[in-house]
Amino acid sequence: MRDPVMVGERVYLRPMEADDAEVLARMDAAETDTFMWRSRMPTSPLEHAHSISEAYEQQPPVHLWLAVRLRDGDRLIGLVGVFDLDWVHRTGETGSVLAPDVRGQGYGTEAKHLLLEYCFDRLHLHMLMSVVDEPNARSAAALAKQGYQPAGRRRWSDVKNGRYVDALLFDLARSEWLAARDEWRAHRATREP
Amino acid sequence: MGVHDLRPVYLRGSRVYLRAMVDADKERGGAWLDETFPVNASRAEKALGDEHTGPGRRAQRRLAITRTEDDEVVGSARVSSWDALRTCQLSFRMARWREDSDALRAEALGLLVHWLRDETEAMVVTVELAADQLETIAAAEAAGMVRNARLREWFGRPGGRVDCLVYQALNPRWEVRDA
Repeated sequence: MRDPVMVGERVYLRPMEADDAEVLARMDAAETDTFMWRSRMPTSPLEHAHSISEAYEQQPPVHLWLAVRLRDGDRLIGLVGVFDLDWVHRTGETGSVLAPDVRGQGYGTEAKHLLLEYCFDRLHLHMLMSVVDEPNARSAAALAKQGYQPAGRRRWSDVKNGRYVDALLFDLARSEWLAARDEWRAHRATREP
Repeated sequence: MGVHDLRPVYLRGSRVYLRAMVDADKERGGAWLDETFPVNASRAEKALGDEHTGPGRRAQRRLAITRTEDDEVVGSARVSSWDALRTCQLSFRMARWREDSDALRAEALGLLVHWLRDETEAMVVTVELAADQLETIAAAEAAGMVRNARLREWFGRPGGRVDCLVYQALNPRWEVRDA
């Protein structure tokens, strides 16, 4: 593992590096879901490389992306991040993206728990929020498992299939995350041989 | 030409007006620049330069909230939109030393919502307000905005925290098309 920030059982988080750019562009090209974009455009490794080169310049950051990598084989499988960090009010917005071929295997849940542990126990943030496009039931269910509570909606956040769609807002306090994490760990323990 | 000549006729209220930022505003950076820590004129000048590098930066435009009676800058409003003003987000930074900031922000919000929704025909205007900004909340509701979300304990205050309220104004002319 290179420069791990948080280490889980199967995945770990670390800062993005220049050689991640090619993988991220390939991940964009392989994306099968379309609900998160009004329109999309093929991305180049060059633009990812540029973003990565600037990603950690500002300290403390306003936005922080971390690479999600498999401990076994060290493959980059996605990104998790916390954005609009407010260092006075100690709040931020979380988000994540996972390569289509590794979804549904628990990697994303583990990575998100590592991110939340980083936010609450390392950065000592007080509250987090997350936003999900209304059709994205998979992400909304994942947030509920991590302890996020429904906070309302932003109406007409996008247009899809000729109709307005809303964005669903969720928020999360540290105590709620701790309870959800304990529940997730207990559930996982019962499934282990 | 003074800043008085930059007052848009469509963004004038009784106590405040909104105008584009000017170079002289660097001298009052503490009133309008939403940085985490205090700034001096040099930092404010750099921020002004960064925010006015060309028309492409109009996706995020900051406007000075200025007192009508004496042209004093008392805060700023940022209008953000990544889809040519179809969906707009508003955010405010007010001078922390003023006791009437809530009232001044309230009037500025009313002017902005009217301009964006009714004249510019924005589809939806969104603003996030702290639950203790009572005059601004009243102005939002008077302008037809509706609270659609509440983020708990979002803003720190001496001795406690307050919620963040997400208010939105949907443009009824767009609502008809959704029927």
